[in-house]
Amino acid sequence: MKLRPKLLWLQGVTCNGNTHSFLNYPHLSYILETFEFLYHPLLPATYTLQEIASCTQSCDILIFEGAYDPRMMRAGTRMETLLQYYGAKASTIIALGSCASFGGMFKQSDPEYITGLGFDREISKGPFAKSNKLINLSGCPIHPEWLGYTLRMIATNKVILIDEMNRPQELYSYLAHHGCTRNEYFEWKVDAEHFGRKEGCLFYKQGCRGPMTHASCNKILWNDVSSKTRVGSPCFGCTEPDFPRVNMFETKTNMSIPQDVPLGISKRSYLTLAGIAKSFHIARLEKRLLDDNT
Amino acid sequence: MIIRKWIEQIEGEASVQFEFENNHISFATIAFPHSRGMEAILESKPAMDALVITPRVCGICGHSHLFSAVRAIESVYENGGKALEISQKAEIIRELTLTLELIQNHLKWLYMVIYPELSHLLQRPIADSCRLKGAYAASLATKALAVFAGQWPHSSYMIPGGVTCDPTHVDVIRAEGFLDELIRWFEKELIGITLDEYIRFSSRKNFLKVTGDMEVIENMLKKANMQEQGFSYDRYLAMGEHGFSKPSKLVNKRISKVDSKFVTLEEAYTINEKTYAKNALYQKNYFETGPLARTMIDGIPFIKQIYKNYRDSTYTRVMARSYEAALLLAHSKKLLQSINLNEPSYIQPLKKIATLSGEGIGIVEAPRGSLIHSVVLKNGIIEKYKLITPTQWNLSCGSPELAGPAQKAMIGADSIETATFTFRAFDVCSVCTTH
Repeated sequence: MKLRPKLLWLQGVTCNGNTHSFLNYPHLSYILETFEFLYHPLLPATYTLQEIASCTQSCDILIFEGAYDPRMMRAGTRMETLLQYYGAKASTIIALGSCASFGGMFKQSDPEYITGLGFDREISKGPFAKSNKLINLSGCPIHPEWLGYTLRMIATNKVILIDEMNRPQELYSYLAHHGCTRNEYFEWKVDAEHFGRKEGCLFYKQGCRGPMTHASCNKILWNDVSSKTRVGSPCFGCTEPDFPRVNMFETKTNMSIPQDVPLGISKRSYLTLAGIAKSFHIARLEKRLLDDNT
Repeated sequence: MIIRKWIEQIEGEASVQFEFENNHISFATIAFPHSRGMEAILESKPAMDALVITPRVCGICGHSHLFSAVRAIESVYENGGKALEISQKAEIIRELTLTLELIQNHLKWLYMVIYPELSHLLQRPIADSCRLKGAYAASLATKALAVFAGQWPHSSYMIPGGVTCDPTHVDVIRAEGFLDELIRWFEKELIGITLDEYIRFSSRKNFLKVTGDMEVIENMLKKANMQEQGFSYDRYLAMGEHGFSKPSKLVNKRISKVDSKFVTLEEAYTINEKTYAKNALYQKNYFETGPLARTMIDGIPFIKQIYKNYRDSTYTRVMARSYEAALLLAHSKKLLQSINLNEPSYIQPLKKIATLSGEGIGIVEAPRGSLIHSVVLKNGIIEKYKLITPTQWNLSCGSPELAGPAQKAMIGADSIETATFTFRAFDVCSVCTTH
């Protein structure tokens, strides 16, 4: 068999959500055939974690899931030591999930010490800050296709263009808003009256961060079937460095105007357009979508 | 003689110290070295944020945490005399997605832990694809789940008052398609007979009809003598209320009611190492929780027959969990067919959550057993949040005088390998245990 790139999957402060999300990837056998897993939290691997912790192996791709706490011990070795060793060996370092990318949910466990691999929220900081090997796959958790894409690009020697936060542009130039089935309600400023309805936009009251969040959740659907906004849950902006925010089921408003407006659009332009759109009262959009829905 | 071993690939790691006397394990301690302080993270957050934060306790059973959190908040309403009205539709959808998470978890455990570990124990190498089979089956369950919950893991679609989704028949039919495919897979790959016939088993002899992977697994369990390993307290607890579980305990063949006020937490016992886990007890006693407990309490004929011969051995424990997967598949099919789409998904609480104060408790049956969330709210803000997870019951680390369920089950084993298998048969979740 041809020599396969060596992939090491390590975990910091984590819930294992990315591991389990990736198990939903429909082409796992391709990944197992293409890469040699030195260690993985669940899948068959060449070494035990204890063997990995002795820092004697080489690796080509380092996947790190969870937030980075230099003091954390894995099988008796400090995380700082583990990452220094394997980070130097690897040609690509993938920060998997928002914790590894920016600190995410578990930065809150100990905010003074915990960061992402190359960012602390949006500030460049961490063991691989400014490293040109670092790819951030943010998301809480990551979508399996996002990691699948990244690994396949690496396996076929293609260049992954990244944005200013080290995220692959092809995945994170889209907003969660793109492809949302509630787009027409957004265009004409029709709010969702309350939760549990397929009609209406969740941006005005229910806290939806779709128009401000870099994520392709409504382009590449979750579990191949749906997304948060498609089932009436607001987007919580889980791919962004400020995740988790506070009061995530409510839109912060000033004088009933959303405090944050869609990305890159000036508040003035937004308000002008919103005011006009709202004045039309389009009967079709104010009705239920289906006739006999309660 | 004491031998320390890292047990890996259990949603993190645990350190187990085995004490040997006369070539048999005389005592073992279990320590969990990591904690994330989830309870502290929840404090001072708005109540609704618990629906985003608590699923992140665990990547494999986060949906159970979401359900517990919702029940805890709804119980604050109820305790304040403002019980929320929840439509039957919302109740059914919640139970359906919970059930699908249990199935996902049981099948992963069977194919990613039990099958490979047994093969390892008996030195019968199996292909890597075995684990992928489990992942494929689990992904069918999570597809059906995501039709209603938007995604798995880490959905937040259950909210006080109902669910956020508003499905049509198109959605129900899609979910049914995935579920049917999963049932067909289960019949073809795992049991070789129909699900319907399997869930009607009433004697051990019926198992002779089973072919497929389950036949191989059962065979290996016997070869490895697992019917003579892993005896624990023979006391069972299931505290969550669902269509598939009535809150009860089973002690000395007697089933009785349970009350969360008898649940206590105690410090874990360790030898020269730090653990972040706390022991969970009911009426100051250790109980086993999870699929064996649920099927025993529910009086499932096939499991009771196995129990008659092999008591609460590792064999019975593994058989109970894999059998529960079948029962839950049939249950989810029924649930799916009983959704009345004309009912509302969500009934808005009259009292705003931002003005809500009081205490509440939410209990559900998670894959590994009873999961408890309790919360104290003041004007909609979390003052205190407490989590008790299933593995805290089963993996309690007690002293030599009073060992926890998994500890007791490992005592008497003649090798670390055998004891480790018994340990894994409880399905350890490191992240949940310490949270």
